[in-house]
Amino acid sequence: MTTLVPDPADYTVDELVVSRMAAEFRNDDQVLNGLSSFVPVCAIELARRTHAPDLAWVAGGSGVDPSSPRLTASTFEWPMWDSALMYVDVADELWDWVSDVRRFRTFCVGAAQLDAFGNANSSVIGDFHQPRVRLPGSAGLADMGSLSKRLIYFVPDHSPRSLVERVDFRSAIGYLDGHGERAQLGLAGGPEIVITNLAVFDFEPTSQRMRLRTLHPGVGLEDVLDATGFEPVVAADLGETPPPSSAEVSLLRTTIDPHGYRKRGFR
Amino acid sequence: MSSKVMSAEDAVGLIRDGDVVGLQSGPTQCAPMSLVRAVIAAGLRNLQVVSLSGSMALDWLATAGALDRATFAAATMESHGMCQRFRRAVEAGDITVEELSETALLARLGAAARGLPFLPTRGMLGTDLLKVGNPNVAVIEDPFGGGPVVACKALRPDVAILHAHRGDVRGNIAVEHGPRHPMTVLLPRASQRVVVSVEEIVDTEQLRRTPQQTILPSFAVDAVVEAPNGAHPTSLFPVYDYDTAFFESWTAAASDQASAAEFLARWVISPASHDDYLALVGERRLADLTIGR
Repeated sequence: MTTLVPDPADYTVDELVVSRMAAEFRNDDQVLNGLSSFVPVCAIELARRTHAPDLAWVAGGSGVDPSSPRLTASTFEWPMWDSALMYVDVADELWDWVSDVRRFRTFCVGAAQLDAFGNANSSVIGDFHQPRVRLPGSAGLADMGSLSKRLIYFVPDHSPRSLVERVDFRSAIGYLDGHGERAQLGLAGGPEIVITNLAVFDFEPTSQRMRLRTLHPGVGLEDVLDATGFEPVVAADLGETPPPSSAEVSLLRTTIDPHGYRKRGFR
Repeated sequence: MSSKVMSAEDAVGLIRDGDVVGLQSGPTQCAPMSLVRAVIAAGLRNLQVVSLSGSMALDWLATAGALDRATFAAATMESHGMCQRFRRAVEAGDITVEELSETALLARLGAAARGLPFLPTRGMLGTDLLKVGNPNVAVIEDPFGGGPVVACKALRPDVAILHAHRGDVRGNIAVEHGPRHPMTVLLPRASQRVVVSVEEIVDTEQLRRTPQQTILPSFAVDAVVEAPNGAHPTSLFPVYDYDTAFFESWTAAASDQASAAEFLARWVISPASHDDYLALVGERRLADLTIGR
């Protein structure tokens, strides 16, 4: 296995992933986070503390614009939204806002399995009614996948088990079998970026298959291809993922996530 | 004036074997755990639980053999992992599941609350959740030309069980400031009978001073059970935090059925009352969970 991080004194791979995700938020965006979403929460806070101070965050889907969120072992508990500007009625307000195509354009999430066309599985391995493995369930992701949202997936354990040619079960849809099948259902949006512990992918516009865009510093093309359970498109201008700045690393380590919850699941 | 205050034992008497039971719970948040313990102690069987995110309550009911079926959007204790006994029971075929997206579950309850046959959602379109023979969801065309939507059939639980901060003897229920979660505010409107445990029973005049905090009027509530720390080991914002050590000990015990059953024998069956349970947990431990503000 290649050493993922050339100089651990500078940054770790989780910090690179958080920094790369943070770059996807605009100052006028709104965002909410799901369960066990340490990387998205760190990315949201990093964006709010750098280039996107007005980014509106509904922490834990519960509290709007917290002034002093504290990250604990949960991304759905009160220390994160205790300093909110407003508490939300989840059924009546949160989902109404999300259903508005003008708002909450970007959703960052992980899944047990993700496939070549960005379909995600959080439900079962094997048959739905007699599963080999029952997974936690898709919750809001099954909604987000079908709405006009731009999905950003993070995969902390890039392997042939997590990135597969076809998911066992489509809990949340990406581009289905590609080639415009999603649009034929009348659905806009879809997955745009997949950030793993090795590389960053987008989706090739015609086939809608996952396309390798950048390799993280110190990671080789063969390493990524070997670790991927399908054959991705490789961008002609394959580049290198920009490393986080020392200011970003410092913010993450000292202020946003001093306990290192963002490292969970990485290998 | 008739009182709706009951013991937990009497209140769960409103639940019958085979009932559809709506269960309030986040992954680590606000579940009516004292009522869940009473359900298990009463030996209820063949229940069909409806829960947005499952959590420890779902896992305990699965361990006790009380469940036939679960309708849920997620079954998780977040950082403490999957509901392990529930998962094994599903894999063994002992519990059947109806997995829905969050908006689809809310649409099913919302339809029941409004007396409608169904409500539509745009969530879940294109997913395999629509291809597993679930008779409660169907893709239909928008009659006004807006494309396909998923019709979600009304789901009316027989009984809702939930926990709140305060109630009076008549059954008016109030909560402190904080987010309003669907299984606290929508679930009881959808359900035939409503059982609420509360941290404290207060004078009606106290509720009148903060009517914006009242979430259920007495006519919508069938039973009130006084249970201080009644959500333990889950959290009740802004009063107390969840009990991390308790979640960890359950997660360890739940790795196999025998140790999970032992855990329930100690924490659920052996305490004869809610007070006995609190004594077993210990005052000091409960005090440590208090949210300092």
